[in-house]
Amino acid sequence: MNTATGTSSPSNDDRQSPNDDDQNGTYECNICLETANDPVVSMCGHLFCWSCLHQWLETRPNRQTCPVCKAGISKDKVIPIYGRGNPNPQDPREKLPPRPAGQRSEPETSNPFQNFGFGGDGNFQFSFGIGAFPFGMFASTFNLNDGRPGPPLPNSPQQAEEQFLSKSAWGPADGIWHVAAFIVERHWTGGKSIFQ
Amino acid sequence: MTSMEKRLQKELQAMTKDPPAGVSVNTNSLSSSLSEWIVDIEGAPSTLYEGERFQLGFKFTSRYPFDSPQVMFIGPNIPVHPHVYSNGHICLSILTEDWSPALSVQSVCLSIVSMLSSCKEKKLPPDNAIYVRTCSKDPKKTRWWYHDNSV
Repeated sequence: MNTATGTSSPSNDDRQSPNDDDQNGTYECNICLETANDPVVSMCGHLFCWSCLHQWLETRPNRQTCPVCKAGISKDKVIPIYGRGNPNPQDPREKLPPRPAGQRSEPETSNPFQNFGFGGDGNFQFSFGIGAFPFGMFASTFNLNDGRPGPPLPNSPQQAEEQFLSKSAWGPADGIWHVAAFIVERHWTGGKSIFQ
Repeated sequence: MTSMEKRLQKELQAMTKDPPAGVSVNTNSLSSSLSEWIVDIEGAPSTLYEGERFQLGFKFTSRYPFDSPQVMFIGPNIPVHPHVYSNGHICLSILTEDWSPALSVQSVCLSIVSMLSSCKEKKLPPDNAIYVRTCSKDPKKTRWWYHDNSV
């Protein structure tokens, strides 16, 4: 293979020089595309820099899959690779300690029903809206001038919330979900409760 | 150079040196940080889109390749396809939930060419009208519902 920087030609030498391997990407990290630094290999045989793979595993902690073949993968199931160059190899997985997990404390719940049905809190009405689905559909279909805000203008922040509406296609069953999603979204964006 | 720029530089090099059939990076369109690209693609021979030319707009965040690029059809010719909305948004799972940092501009372009190639009838998505009216400008904000693996 002749490349722009072509240093060797296979026609003269059947063996590939290490340089060729490098240029063919044999030892490139599958994420940053550079020669792997602190290399680790997955059980499925795919090579990464530990820092790159670690960042990917942190990106989707609940669905850790090999970026190349989507096989299951985890910190404990990758093998560090130690070349000859480093006399004191250290497991790269220990070099980069996993960041401490985020901490989440529960909100104080002195009276969980305190706001039931009365509050204007968008998050709360999220679940309420689903429960009232048949009423909600009626209200949203027929009470068009009920004082709730109209559809958002293009590019308005509210419009971003309308993502709930978006589906690739809708068959008969999907239609119901569109309506449900629409009601939920109305509540979510702070519209007045239909029960007030 | 940030890791995103480094990686995009590598991809650009590979794509200009050895471009896949029917795919070419519009090098005039590149911003200096490489965060926006335009890629010209051609409908594959003996498919419904043979001879047609399209443009894909790519936008990358600094978290690329951990974060998927925003990819949509732009320009005057938007393909009529059941997974392509008339505003250029594309319903393709690798652009959101099935994204992997081992994918690249090249593999995304090839997936899109192949998505066009397997189309049997040129028609708009059934919910095109309502989607185009209500969607966000950024297709990545859409919560897509992937259900059709045939096209």
